Amino acid sequence: MVGAAGGVGQTGVTEVYTAASAVAIPTIRTVAADLAARADFDLDSIADLRMAVDDTCTRLVRVAARDATLSCCFAVRFERIEVIAEVDVKEIMDPLPRGSFSWWVLRCLADEVTALVLPGKTGQGGRVCIILVKRALTAGLL
Amino acid sequence: MSASVSPTGTEQANYAHLAALHRRYAELPATDPERQRVREQLISGYLPMAEHLARRFAGRGESLEDLIQVATIGLINAVDRFEPDRGANFFSFAIPTITGELRRYFRDHGWSTKVPRRLKDLHLEIRNSQTQLSQQLGRAPRPSEIADQLEISMSEVIEGLQAGEAYRSSSLDEMLGEQATMALGEFVGDFDDELAIIEDREALRPLLAQLPPRDRTILALRFFRQLTQTQIAEQVGISQMHVSRVLSQTLAFLRERMDTDD
Repeated sequence: MVGAAGGVGQTGVTEVYTAASAVAIPTIRTVAADLAARADFDLDSIADLRMAVDDTCTRLVRVAARDATLSCCFAVRFERIEVIAEVDVKEIMDPLPRGSFSWWVLRCLADEVTALVLPGKTGQGGRVCIILVKRALTAGLL
Repeated sequence: MSASVSPTGTEQANYAHLAALHRRYAELPATDPERQRVREQLISGYLPMAEHLARRFAGRGESLEDLIQVATIGLINAVDRFEPDRGANFFSFAIPTITGELRRYFRDHGWSTKVPRRLKDLHLEIRNSQTQLSQQLGRAPRPSEIADQLEISMSEVIEGLQAGEAYRSSSLDEMLGEQATMALGEFVGDFDDELAIIEDREALRPLLAQLPPRDRTILALRFFRQLTQTQIAEQVGISQMHVSRVLSQTLAFLRERMDTDD
């Protein structure tokens, strides 16, 4: 872990690298929630980000190649956090098919969700990436 | 809290007939069978007050039934220990005794791991502040807003929030207030239509059917009605942290079952 963000209002980038294994996910989502709390996100937004990161990492771990590394980068900006999570895969596939329940859930939890597929040079395998943007205040529809 | 739960004047009047019984209870010798009868009269007479206090603690992840039981224990202690000759009002003695019993219950039973008492107290304060601020602000508070209200540091708030992760969820035996259950009824019916946007709904449907009705409703309110956790907490009558736990568990359950088809 490098460059953890400091106090309220401070921006910065925190990167977490772990084995692409379900065992690592509680640690990663705790980092996400802690960063959001220190960035003074409202409690709904903190909880949503925690769940969104949990979901994202679970999806990536499921598709990861053997012995792959899961990389999560949290960029704390003004009133928002951007999360870039990525992993190597053996077979190129969309980690978040449009219209799937997971896609829908993530769209509700985060303000922006993007899935990227980057084919490898050899034509086999590649890298998949999920990018989330979460804003500090959650407004509900009523 | 004790100030806000003091019975109003009219409620006091409902208990007026009990006042004279305290002296009688204190005077009767321990061997007199009449003493036991007076004691029971006092306890059952004040029971509505104990229930009222228990309800104030509902919606924090413990069942109302348990809370009423704990409050009743507090009431019995108060009846037994009250000394009418000291001139104090029974309520000013009983209310702190009962709420003290309820607080102790939360401190001792609500936690799954050993958490220092200081953190448990801090966590309870944060939860109270969160509820108040949510109503004032119309949204979930930020940690800094809780820190301001409680006059503690931001890092203490974060510490207290993290301690909350060790709070045991007792969703199985948690009872909803009757009002909350009524309000929930309206949402369950609509759920099916809103699934139309989900392409893999045919895989999802049988899993949703396996969920406890309350968890399914909370899921629907969050992901189809798009209410915030704080808004759901208010409607369902449980805390935001509890909503958060229910949602995480429900999502994990669905994810695990859905993804086996991939």
